[in-house]
Amino acid sequence: MATVSFTIDGKNVMAEEGTSLLEAAKSAGIEIPHLCYMEGLATGACRLCVVEVEGQKNLAASCVFPVANKLVVKTATERVIRARKNVIELLLSDHPLDCMTCEKSGACGLEKYAYELGVTGSRFAGERHHYPLDDTNPFFFRDYNKCILCGRCVLACNDVQFVEAINFAHRGFGCKIAAPYDRSLKDSTCIFCGQCVASCPTGALVEKSRCAAGREWDLQKVTTTCSYCGVGCTLELSVKDGRIVKVTTPADAVVNKGRLCVKGRFGWDYVHSPERLTAPLIRVGEKGEGKFREATWDEALDLVARKFSEIKSESGSDSLACLSSAKCTNEENYLVQKFVRAVLGTNNVDHCARL
Amino acid sequence: MGKITGREELDRLHESLREKEDPNAVCITVCGGTGCTALGSQPVGEAFSDELSKRGLGDKVFVKKTGCHGFCEQGPVVVILPSEIFYPHVAPEDVPEIVEKTVINSEVIDRLLYVDPASGRKIVYDNEVPFYARQQRLVLRDNGRLDPTDIYDYIRYDGYRALSKALSGMTPEQVIDEVEQSGLRGRGGAGFPTGRKWRLARASKGDLKYVVCNGDEGDPGAFMDRSVMEGNPHLVLEGMAVAAFAIGASVGYIYVRAEYPLAVANLKLAIIEAEKLGLLGENILGSGFNFEVRIKEGAGAFVCGEETALMASIEGKIGRPRPRPPFPAQAGLWGKPTNINNVETYATVPHIIINGSGWYAGLGTGTSKGTKIFSLTGKVNNTGLVEVPMGSSLGELVYDIGGGIPRGRKFKAAQTGGPSGGCIPAEYLGLAIDYESLAKIGSIVGSGGLVVMDQSTCMVDIARFFLTFTQSESCGKCTPCRLGTKRMLEILTRITKGEGTESDVEALIELAEKVKDSSLCGLGQTAPNPVLSTLKYFRDEYEAHINEKRCPAAVCEALVYAPCEHTCPVNVDAVGYVALISQGRFKEALDLERQRNPLAGICGRVCTHPCEGRCRRGDIDRPVAIAALKRAAADYGARAGVKTTIPIAKKREERVAIVGSGPAGLGAAYHLAKKGYQVTIFEALPVAGGMLAVGIPEYRLPRKVLKADIKFITDLGVEIRLNSPIGDGLTIDDLFQRGYKAVLLAVGAHQGLRLGIEGEDAAGVYDGVTFLRKVNLKKKVAVGEKVAVVGGGNVALDAARSALRLGAKEVTIVYRRAKEDMPANEEEIIEAEHENIRILTLTAPLRITKKGGRIESLVCQRTELGDYDASGRRKPKIVSGSEFLLEVDTVIAAIGQTISAPFLKAGDGIEAAKNGTIIADKVTLATGCAGVFAAGDDVMGPATVVEALGSGERSAISIDRYLRGSDLKKDRFLEKKRPVDIPWDEANLESGDREEMPRLATGERADSFAETNLGYSKEAAIREARRCLRCDLRR
Repeated sequence: MATVSFTIDGKNVMAEEGTSLLEAAKSAGIEIPHLCYMEGLATGACRLCVVEVEGQKNLAASCVFPVANKLVVKTATERVIRARKNVIELLLSDHPLDCMTCEKSGACGLEKYAYELGVTGSRFAGERHHYPLDDTNPFFFRDYNKCILCGRCVLACNDVQFVEAINFAHRGFGCKIAAPYDRSLKDSTCIFCGQCVASCPTGALVEKSRCAAGREWDLQKVTTTCSYCGVGCTLELSVKDGRIVKVTTPADAVVNKGRLCVKGRFGWDYVHSPERLTAPLIRVGEKGEGKFREATWDEALDLVARKFSEIKSESGSDSLACLSSAKCTNEENYLVQKFVRAVLGTNNVDHCARL
Repeated sequence: MGKITGREELDRLHESLREKEDPNAVCITVCGGTGCTALGSQPVGEAFSDELSKRGLGDKVFVKKTGCHGFCEQGPVVVILPSEIFYPHVAPEDVPEIVEKTVINSEVIDRLLYVDPASGRKIVYDNEVPFYARQQRLVLRDNGRLDPTDIYDYIRYDGYRALSKALSGMTPEQVIDEVEQSGLRGRGGAGFPTGRKWRLARASKGDLKYVVCNGDEGDPGAFMDRSVMEGNPHLVLEGMAVAAFAIGASVGYIYVRAEYPLAVANLKLAIIEAEKLGLLGENILGSGFNFEVRIKEGAGAFVCGEETALMASIEGKIGRPRPRPPFPAQAGLWGKPTNINNVETYATVPHIIINGSGWYAGLGTGTSKGTKIFSLTGKVNNTGLVEVPMGSSLGELVYDIGGGIPRGRKFKAAQTGGPSGGCIPAEYLGLAIDYESLAKIGSIVGSGGLVVMDQSTCMVDIARFFLTFTQSESCGKCTPCRLGTKRMLEILTRITKGEGTESDVEALIELAEKVKDSSLCGLGQTAPNPVLSTLKYFRDEYEAHINEKRCPAAVCEALVYAPCEHTCPVNVDAVGYVALISQGRFKEALDLERQRNPLAGICGRVCTHPCEGRCRRGDIDRPVAIAALKRAAADYGARAGVKTTIPIAKKREERVAIVGSGPAGLGAAYHLAKKGYQVTIFEALPVAGGMLAVGIPEYRLPRKVLKADIKFITDLGVEIRLNSPIGDGLTIDDLFQRGYKAVLLAVGAHQGLRLGIEGEDAAGVYDGVTFLRKVNLKKKVAVGEKVAVVGGGNVALDAARSALRLGAKEVTIVYRRAKEDMPANEEEIIEAEHENIRILTLTAPLRITKKGGRIESLVCQRTELGDYDASGRRKPKIVSGSEFLLEVDTVIAAIGQTISAPFLKAGDGIEAAKNGTIIADKVTLATGCAGVFAAGDDVMGPATVVEALGSGERSAISIDRYLRGSDLKKDRFLEKKRPVDIPWDEANLESGDREEMPRLATGERADSFAETNLGYSKEAAIREARRCLRCDLRR
């Protein structure tokens, strides 16, 4: 890739061919406001990232405008600022002004740019949408009234997860995001991975778990690894008062690059289950009686090792077998088979993924 | 026949097809375009076939169903070849007669001939019909003579010879050079140079390239692409094949709306036929070049006309645009290099290849070459498809080809480029239309939609109409287009409902500019154009809706009680008094009339009745004679001995001075007196009435009528002081000193303009208003035997007809433009002609020659009509060497008047504009000096009686508000009218035409100022009133 050189706000900038102005500006330390743009995915829809490019008749959306040699770009002229304010004002003209109770407050793109651009409301009062709240799935709410039609959820569904459950329906003011034939997500190909929820810049898509569970700025972030499968996705838990409120993942997570599945994102309710085992248990009394006592890990492992040794010496190695889990990593599975072959001395080892 | 293997074989086929043809054989072409089909051309064609076979002529006379002839409004259209006899509106019943007379006996059937609406002339031949005669048809050339379902017919008319020329003798680069040098630009709207586009696509690397034909024609009113695809599908295919060869494409797509079923069917058939003959498909004409064409039927989204959305739609995705770059030439359909052009562009290409780029570049203007098809629709006599060279003027399209505006109404504006374009007002009728010139004035050529609008079109409503379209067709992707157009539409809707506020116009402009500047695709970037252009040229209409709750075109339902009432400057409840007259209730009719207009007898005689121009009955036959009925109410409704039936408010202490007793002053005095004010009118002349008394001659307005109406006002306590000019003797300040609390200036415009030609100082030269003043004041006026009157307005007509009555033997009106351009009332012109007054049009005065200080002659020059000027009329140009003498002894120059207000002094706050008129607020009529208002001609410039009256009433409302200390503007237009309590009775509706006005015999008119219009009898008035459609009851 060739490198091109041009100026942004009078600053000389070098960037690789094929980069967008928005990305090039970002690496040069110039932040351009944007709502519909997601890392590497741009549609040029929201028009908040417009900039002046010398020689272009109209303002250009920087998220989709490719860099080129000798471009002269201005990102903060009066014309640009007025156009951006106009975009925010138009969006607010069909958006509830209920930020004080909105779950997204503090992490909302619309709120952020309205604040930064000093747009307090809209002069263009007119028809507003009054969609009913979509509560048809157990994981998240869809509130179309807060949807700004940026299309990030559509990108997340179609171009990140390749599920293609949702897209744009209808035209003009009636345009909305919908599953085919505007039916419920349950009747679509949706797998409820929640990637759409993660990509939504407003309160249009919100995890049910985080509702009334705390303001965005009160949430403590805890990074961990998903325990569901061997992929080992990075999880970022939002925690308040020792309880998980929602689960997300950083866009730059090494393993999963910002993606999660339904289990990782929504399947964590067991964490706070009263039935959850928190320490090893050793049976007391007769088998089937259901009586156990808490033990330490050392005591429990010692007991298992002793029992294995007894069986092996009494009945031979092949009386033992081991079934390993897909929840374990490859390394752990490797160790299991090594243990079975080298320590237990048998080839009776298998894995749930083969069943 | 098998596949054609090369150029020579195609040429041989072409020759043999031509040789087989008998040049004298009769061929009946019946238009099979969608318009004519809808009007019933199918049964006409069948009737011809039946009739011919019945007469055993089935194999001698050929019936051909052709493509669209373009003159859709005249359908079903039949042209008999080779004679080219043209029959419009043919019905199956006409067919036997046509076969008998025209086909067999070569006779022309008079009753079936086309009548030119402009001249009233009957026209026999196709090529003499003005609609066709002034066109230059290139793309549409063969539409009317080809059978679009027969490839051999196409080949016979040079079909596929451009492709064979390109394939056998040209390199792809040479083809591109040819197209580039021709100057052809994209006909879809943006006008990008076609050759350059092809070069970019050729330069793009790719294993597979596409050629796409954009047939997603979506502008309301545009149907040229449809006609070409339906009527000449092979022309489009051939153009595409040439393009494919040039850029190296092997697959083509035609994106055509599914709602164009005939186009789809004819294109599909054409592809199959062309493949059979080896003109499409593999190894075309044995050249090794492969090109296949597929049809993609679109679902009818306007935005799919945008190239990136169109490609998405072909790919099976949602038809939404994506940002460019990359351009289609770089990464188009399925990411491959793609060339997209519009139907008309491809259909032009074969002509360029055959005739050469030089020939094509010889047509059109400097930057816009060739011809362009326009869909001429709207308020124009001849609607249909019109192909003219670029650079033709709008006036040529509307008048020469379009035959002008129906019902003699006035051209107001034309919308070019559909909802993405802008409106063009009358001042640009002379503008040479091309890409650049239209862009300069805020419109676009677009795909060629041309909607003509007349006085009955509301420009706010039309902007709302187009925005409704673009808003519902916006794909919803980008914020400015999705929400910006929505909010703009809401503002426009508010304005048309009378709910607009003063800040709405600014908000509209701001939104429009942002939507234009920051939308993603062409749809949003152009959607505000109709709003911006109507705001630019018709801002006063927006302001009338917002400030006065008035729709000047009387269109916006929420504001209009009835078009007649709404159009009247005094808002007289015309529909109400007409309804009362229909029941013979003349007295009540007069009372209702006088609620708004105290001068019923006067206006019933001299009003220019703008109400009748908007009367809906006029859309059926002729408008209701509203003014003549007003006169009937005044004549038959007056109560002898009863002073007034008008309720008067309690007497108020404040005194108001009005300067001038013309209609403005009288109107103001009346309304102020009704409110209880004590009004004194100061009149400079020895008679009351202003222009009513000294401008309008007695034969139009008898003095006793004038006096009766003035008495009606003075009976309310209004005092008129004659011979009391305002000036040095009595200043405006003096009036305030004397205790008047407010002053209204209504001095009129009594100063005639001079011709500014040599010899004007001779005795016997008058200006029109001075002449009429002298006549009316019974002063001695020397009128010779031969009088020339210069001018075409009502003053000119009044002067001419007065001169005749003063003994002139020969009166000639000299007017530099055409008769239809004369600003005078039509009935005045007709009456003048009845009185043998000669009207010499297209004649301009040059000088007056004198002999012994007396006029000897008026030297004139002939003029001819040139281009359209800023007034929307053709500008008269002097014909050199056309001087001629008009032997006359009296010359009256009636070319306009101006105001003379010597009483205005610097420093008193009252200012005059350059043209002499007093500057006052448009709505309140308040001048810069507190308590001083101005109404009538001295503010508006020379206007009509009823306009002056309206202005007077308006000033009275302001003076009342001023004296009460309330806001002059707020809520002043909130009055709602209630229909008179007379229900609709259809049985009572008179179906006959307008009652003729009884008139004094012309023989009795010379030497007499007796009234010429005698007025309806009571019975005739009732009959006439029963013609009213009662628009007021609609709500």
